[in-house]
Amino acid sequence: MHPADFFQWLNDLPFSVALREDDWPFPIIETFHILGLGLSVGVILWLDLRLIGLTLRRQPVSQVVSQLEPWAIRGFAIMFLSGSLLFLAEPMKCYTAIAFRFKAVMLVLAGLNVWYFHAKVYPKVAEWDTAPVMPWQAKIVGYVSMALWFGIIIAGRWTAYF
Amino acid sequence: MNLQYVLPIWFFHWCEGTWLGSIIQQSKWSFALIETVHIMALAVLLGSFLIVDLRLFGLGMQRLTVAEVVGQFAPTSWVSFVVMVATGIPMYLSEAVRLSSSTPFFYKMVFLCLALLFHLTVHRSATNSGNAGTGLAKIAAGLSLVCWLAVALAGRAIAYL
Repeated sequence: MHPADFFQWLNDLPFSVALREDDWPFPIIETFHILGLGLSVGVILWLDLRLIGLTLRRQPVSQVVSQLEPWAIRGFAIMFLSGSLLFLAEPMKCYTAIAFRFKAVMLVLAGLNVWYFHAKVYPKVAEWDTAPVMPWQAKIVGYVSMALWFGIIIAGRWTAYF
Repeated sequence: MNLQYVLPIWFFHWCEGTWLGSIIQQSKWSFALIETVHIMALAVLLGSFLIVDLRLFGLGMQRLTVAEVVGQFAPTSWVSFVVMVATGIPMYLSEAVRLSSSTPFFYKMVFLCLALLFHLTVHRSATNSGNAGTGLAKIAAGLSLVCWLAVALAGRAIAYL
């Protein structure tokens, strides 16, 4: 089965049609997606800046992570749920839009970055929890995360164009 | 209800005729670019405000005092607010006439004024008092969030209504 056939099948589902053609669902869900930016990217940004060593320097990394990560996870849950519904409303448009393909790739990379952080970098946090300079692995995770999330926002906005 | 009840029509035409307004009108890419920066600044602004307001509820950055949280997050809030205004003005100038008959835009401006006023008075008292979890702290935090979210909501509604 050609991928396009799958997205066309999704596109033809009554649920997808209703999401797309009824007046209110799309605007309401999209509003949650945009407002959710604050709780997701807006919170994880601070964690990333701590990993780079630019902010909250007097707080041990583990404390910044334990205090902010639960909220970021809630924010990303909102983004994932609203984003999935938005995707389901316009599967063919998302499939054909180059910007959305970039967004999808960056989302996967962002997920891999999170996995890498928790599997390979954070387990050793006790060694550099209060270090004046962050280890390069932590800094890379921070920079990559910020670059990807802002790239994702940009690609998301530009999906409307191409 | 819209801005035409408040300001004369020539004002909106004047806005669109400014150098900034006409430059943006002519290039659809410049508008999209500026709007993208507006959205990125929104993520930063809402995030900073959320962290401060969560702290007023006694949640989030609990190991820092209210004053410390404000000290860390408030500067970024205001920088991103300035970026939002700096990107908002060119976008406004390029579409002033259309926006003059927009109801959501009118309410966005109303909520913006309310949010600012509230933030600089009640919210400031609450953060200065340094107490989280009190009635004042929770009301200030809750209402502040509602105001700023209302600004964002009205902003989004401009495209739909």
